[in-house]
Amino acid sequence: MRHNPDSILNVLGKTTYIDDMPENSEMLHSAIVPSPSAHGRFASIDDAAAIAYAPGVRVLVAKDVPGQNQLGTAVPDEPMLAEGEWHYRGQVLALVLAPSRSAARRAAALVKLVGREDLPVVVDPRVAYERGDVILTPRTQRLGDPEAAYGECDIVVTGRVESGGQEHVYLETQGAVAYPDDSGGVRVFSGTQSPAGVQAIVARILGVPMNLVEIETRRLGGAFGGKEDQASGWAALASLGAVMTGKPVKLYLNRRDDMASTGKRHPYSSDFRIGMKKDGTILAFEADYYQNAGAATDLSPAILPRTLFHAAGAYHIPNVRATGTMCRTNLVPFTAFRGFGGPQGLFVVECAIEKAARALGLDPAEVQRKNLLSEGDVSHYGMRMDDVRAKDTFALCMEKSRWTELRADIAVFNASNKARKKGAAAFPLCFGISFTKIMLNQGGALVHVFNDGSVSISTGAIEMGQGVGRKIALVSAKALGAPIDDVRVESTRTTTVANTVATAASSGADINAMAARVACLEIRKRLVSLAAERLGVAYDAIDIVDGRVVTSGAGGARDAGLGFAELAGMAYERRIDLSAHGFFATPGLHYDMKAEHGTPFLYHVYGCAVVTATLDVLRGSYRFDEAFIVHDIAESIDPLVDLGQIEGAFAQGLGWAALEELKFDDSGRLLSDTLSTYKLPDAHFMPRLDVEFFTRPNPKAVANSKAVGEPPLMYGIAGYFAVLDALRAARPGAPSFYDLPMTPEKAMLFMTEPIGPAEASPGAGGSR
Amino acid sequence: MTRNIRFRLNGAIREESIREEALALDWIRNEAGLKGTKEGCREGDCGACLVLLGGRGPDGSMEWRSVTSCTLAMGELDGRHLVTIEGLAAAGLTPVMEAMLDEGASQCGFCSPGFVLALTGYLVSGARIDPIGAMIAVEGNLCRCTGYGSIRRAATRLASEFADLPTDLGPRLASLAERRVLPAGLAASMAEPPAPVADAPGTRESAATVLGGGTDYFVRNPDPEPGLVPSFSDLGPEARTITRTVSQTGSAVVIGPAVTVSDFFASPVTRSAAPGIERYELAVASPPIRNRATIVGNIVNASPIADMTAMLIALGGRVMIAGGGRGGTEVRLEDFYLGYKQIDLLAGERVAGIAFDAGWSRFAFEKASKRERLDIATVNCAVAVRMAPDGSIAEARYSAGGVAAVPLRLRDAEMAMAGRSPSAILAREVGAIAAAAGSPMSDVRGSTVYRKRLLERLAWAAFTRLWPELRLEEELLA
Repeated sequence: MRHNPDSILNVLGKTTYIDDMPENSEMLHSAIVPSPSAHGRFASIDDAAAIAYAPGVRVLVAKDVPGQNQLGTAVPDEPMLAEGEWHYRGQVLALVLAPSRSAARRAAALVKLVGREDLPVVVDPRVAYERGDVILTPRTQRLGDPEAAYGECDIVVTGRVESGGQEHVYLETQGAVAYPDDSGGVRVFSGTQSPAGVQAIVARILGVPMNLVEIETRRLGGAFGGKEDQASGWAALASLGAVMTGKPVKLYLNRRDDMASTGKRHPYSSDFRIGMKKDGTILAFEADYYQNAGAATDLSPAILPRTLFHAAGAYHIPNVRATGTMCRTNLVPFTAFRGFGGPQGLFVVECAIEKAARALGLDPAEVQRKNLLSEGDVSHYGMRMDDVRAKDTFALCMEKSRWTELRADIAVFNASNKARKKGAAAFPLCFGISFTKIMLNQGGALVHVFNDGSVSISTGAIEMGQGVGRKIALVSAKALGAPIDDVRVESTRTTTVANTVATAASSGADINAMAARVACLEIRKRLVSLAAERLGVAYDAIDIVDGRVVTSGAGGARDAGLGFAELAGMAYERRIDLSAHGFFATPGLHYDMKAEHGTPFLYHVYGCAVVTATLDVLRGSYRFDEAFIVHDIAESIDPLVDLGQIEGAFAQGLGWAALEELKFDDSGRLLSDTLSTYKLPDAHFMPRLDVEFFTRPNPKAVANSKAVGEPPLMYGIAGYFAVLDALRAARPGAPSFYDLPMTPEKAMLFMTEPIGPAEASPGAGGSR
Repeated sequence: MTRNIRFRLNGAIREESIREEALALDWIRNEAGLKGTKEGCREGDCGACLVLLGGRGPDGSMEWRSVTSCTLAMGELDGRHLVTIEGLAAAGLTPVMEAMLDEGASQCGFCSPGFVLALTGYLVSGARIDPIGAMIAVEGNLCRCTGYGSIRRAATRLASEFADLPTDLGPRLASLAERRVLPAGLAASMAEPPAPVADAPGTRESAATVLGGGTDYFVRNPDPEPGLVPSFSDLGPEARTITRTVSQTGSAVVIGPAVTVSDFFASPVTRSAAPGIERYELAVASPPIRNRATIVGNIVNASPIADMTAMLIALGGRVMIAGGGRGGTEVRLEDFYLGYKQIDLLAGERVAGIAFDAGWSRFAFEKASKRERLDIATVNCAVAVRMAPDGSIAEARYSAGGVAAVPLRLRDAEMAMAGRSPSAILAREVGAIAAAAGSPMSDVRGSTVYRKRLLERLAWAAFTRLWPELRLEEELLA
């Protein structure tokens, strides 16, 4: 098939998401009662007015939970329904069930708190840190001795860096539909990246074993990490409703509730110290990351180490110390978002390089180039880097963007224009692939070949637009020898493939296509044996290619007159098993958490971006003109899918870096809680994109490919520095500021305020 | 309130008893069972619910526009034609869909029907077909997956494939049917609207709220209460006209109560009264919103940051009152706002239209917002000037929004400009006056200090737009 079958359904408008599934007349709808402030307590919940609103209204609260009222996985600190207190605004206090969605929403507005008392609120991670309100313990990764190395440096620079949170804005909001089961369990259609994770939580909430809970996910209207741990609560609430009423229950958040009540990318506040030689060689780097974890642990303990692993960026720095702390605040529990702590870490080291380079009078790109990773370098977490592609991709991108001429053109333009200034910046990427929690690097698959030759593939992977289904189909078709049009990738179901992991960490295809391949090769073996027997030729002389059995002999390969479908029919008659389970566990991973040392990644993805921007000096606004990207795709399984991943991730990264402003007030209220106040990239915002694949094969992953989901997001960081570069041209001599996202407001104030924002914050300055 | 209406949904005539205030989005999904129309934000900001709306325009001819069904009331549909993705997909893949597939412009797919409809609507609309126009057509659509590169490639390809479409609706529909953009049966039905059950409903004097396009009303009332019935300002074709009138006091432009933002910018009457005003159309909302939002609705919604209000204050806008004791009189637009979201409209009165002065020599509008397109201003300002033969400013009008509880007219700035010749010195003077105006507050769109800075800088910017030939920016930034 020329096109991805999922995409065909999409453009025809036939794709069925959670809210599009047929409803039966018994179905109940639901609405949440969110907490009214960021911290408080209550004596009880008065549901009388809500119940009186319409016949059939029910209000469920914490004491209705038959099992454990707990969503937390790493740390049990997140009740599904609040128990006498709440810790962030939007936390779920009660669930209201009603025969229609509008009745549920109206009834929910009538639920009252008895004995409400508001409590003090902390929104700043540094304040939480000073109060000792941290989650688990801080982590530190080290290499060499930065303190000693500063003595050899010509310059040592310190600074403070802020990076804001980011709302996922998956266009399909969170939701689930739960059907009660006569065994006392539930069957749930959940909008999740992790059906097995939802299964475990639902079983815990209901107090039943996992085999009474079946979760199915067909596809998601976007997720980006937001439906990894954060989908569980909605499915569990719907399940609770289904068990309590004996009726199907749908919980589907509207945009405002979704934005107010679900986790987002973590805001970070960080300090750095960097030491360099005069020529730009980096000798030492230290960073302290204060992660704003929000009110509950969620995935923060997994996200923080990815920040630390990416502390040194795409560079070899011989002396490194990186310390990260999860700080508990009264904001929504922050969670996974494409990049998973990586972007926050990478931004800090780029700020340090920018600041030190400017202090030395060097082009930051020259400092970047000088310090890029080489083959055999050992990272600050003790991993030997091999098949390093940092210098190759950087050089190609410099060439592609005609960097030297670009800089000269910009200098000429800026010298002759007052109202507009241009800027440009490069960003070299090195991003580790694998779940950093090693046990998560496993996946299963179940493959059926039906006796008409059609093929059914089930894995743990979730299709959310990233094309993992297409990649699995292509890999499976090739492994089986079946025509691609005969291969169907099924919805993801916990009863079909068990104990799977979230589709996350860019490894959806790496793990699941590999597991599917294992199963396909098993079936293929049986089919080849049968064909060999039937045709009377040696096993090794048989191949199955694109639905045809091919024999090789002295005269070369020839069609044996036997098709895949016919062969499958024969196997059925001969009582040969046409199904197989496949399993894959990523090899070679080990990590010592105490020593903070090991090989947490199977491989790294490299690349480089150059972004150019034009600043309107009068108005403080800016436009991105062009982005040149050379991305380490290795051998692409589906180039159209991969190009879409690169362009789409870059857009999200550019949005994070220079547009999307997640704004909370001091009381912990999210001010940007609708799409009219939270602006994400639109078509007009995006620059012209010029993407080139770096295609050296990667023998470590399926079909010599490389994971692509997250890494290109980080290219957006170049956008921040491109605007900063233009701003520096508009106001030469003013010190740079490191407060992501860039916004027109910050740009205007940088150009017009007496003192730059960075200098106003403690910890900045301090060169020697 | 429940009413019987007759409209066409995709290929078929529907006669339905509907709640007038119900959202078309909800009806399409829940009553008609057509799930290809998606709810992404329910406030007109994402385009996932985009549909095509056909009906008679002010001149009586059939017109087709893309609109967001989450801000469209069912009561508006009598005698109209609604096309959803199911209508377009009735005969399988169309060239618009194929272009999106070939370029990989659909990932998770949630936004895809909206993009297909926006691009198809562009081909149906009669606009000149080119790549820039095609991308403007999707400015009301958000995609979180693709980064828009693939969408741009698909749109560019379509623009070149369909550059030769006939402009007249009949032949255009025939061509689109022949080339499979529209299923033949659907295309044939799109030339004429169905007969409505009722004549235009007219404005009910009893109604608490007169509904314009609904693009503000439904954002504030996403689940309209059954009891809360707005009446409809769609008073028939003449309510959507823009006319030039001449009286003793001078020449004026009169905007009917149902004139949309799209109508406003397309009108030659408006364009000649305020030269260059069409340059600012893209700064206001998005195509599907401009196609529904009315000028009068924008005025009475009384947002201190409304773009059209700022422009019309600068153009000398006057609110035409109908009904009540003041019927037939006019209130100056800047005097129409009594406080935050409070307007000078008494019980029994309604707004019959807006009049503004014609004969301006130059006009500029400036808007600072986080995102350039489809965003609400942090601060905006508008300036209209009438030039004297000697090159000096005979008269100026200056408005600023986003800096007080109400939109402001800056009379001090106007007085400073009157009789002077444009210069950087004058721009600085006006900028200083503007910066001292109002009492901007800090909110999600910007801080007090930023807004004050914008007041000054947007004044400078307006001068550079009013007199580009003077190249004032070089001097202002020296």
